[in-house]
Amino acid sequence: MNVPPICPLIFYRDARAGLDFLERAFGFETRMVVDDGKGGVIHSETVFDGMVVMVAGPPPENYASPAELGGRATASICVQVKSGVDALCERARAAGAVIVREPSDQAYGDRTFGCHDPEGHAWFFGQEIKQMSADEMAKATGRKITAGLEG
Amino acid sequence: MSSPFTPVVFYKDPMAALRWLEKAFGFETSLLVTDDDGNVGHAEMSFGEGRVGIGGEWGAADRIGPARMRSPASLDGQGTQFIRIELASGLDAHCARAEAAGARITQRPEDQFYGARVYRALDPEGHVWNFDQAIAQVSNADMEAASGLKIATALPGD
Repeated sequence: MNVPPICPLIFYRDARAGLDFLERAFGFETRMVVDDGKGGVIHSETVFDGMVVMVAGPPPENYASPAELGGRATASICVQVKSGVDALCERARAAGAVIVREPSDQAYGDRTFGCHDPEGHAWFFGQEIKQMSADEMAKATGRKITAGLEG
Repeated sequence: MSSPFTPVVFYKDPMAALRWLEKAFGFETSLLVTDDDGNVGHAEMSFGEGRVGIGGEWGAADRIGPARMRSPASLDGQGTQFIRIELASGLDAHCARAEAAGARITQRPEDQFYGARVYRALDPEGHVWNFDQAIAQVSNADMEAASGLKIATALPGD
């Protein structure tokens, strides 16, 4: 189990409830919880498919849970799964996730669903159904797709 | 091993963010999706084996759901995450490069009790980037002794 080289830490008002939800809804497994001495969590690590995301809360100064910002958030998390994206959506729904995009095939070759956790963090899960090049994606989506910045 | 996770962070000006993140942190734009007007629909940057997504703020009605994605610059500097990035080496030089590019360094490079040297920077729109470089392997017991914190390896009841 590794911490990926770029790893998000997301803030919850109630980090333990957040961790519990991630386990029930998506199948994460909590491997480390560092208590802040006041009932909160200053750091934790929870594992999905061998990789870690970090959770903490209540948020310190200059940070907030989406629940404290009227549902607004400054990040989302995309998760690529190898299989079972529809079953995962049903598991998440049963655990109380708010499904904001039902499982559907996307023009760029993934089947995806999107949901909010109980504090409003946005999670998007995708499973590749068709391998596509950037050119093929551009054609299918009508967008311009490049592999780098110009100029 | 590649990670299943791509954190996506949101900006008022995602194109400027892409340029700044390349200059300040050495990220590379690996995927850029734009519409006919040149607006960024979605972008991905790579840094070593790591990946991060860059997006523009979501408008009120044109996107799914109530989780409206915003830049910290639109939320009085508040963020709902920070991004931790592992460096193999050169942490102090990386910090100097970031600062020269205009990063606001909120925590200077410093050794931490958990076995990493860490610095923390704000980008121009206020996202927090936490860079760390491993300097020692520290057991949970040693971390508890050094910090006075209590460390568990599962949620109670698991």
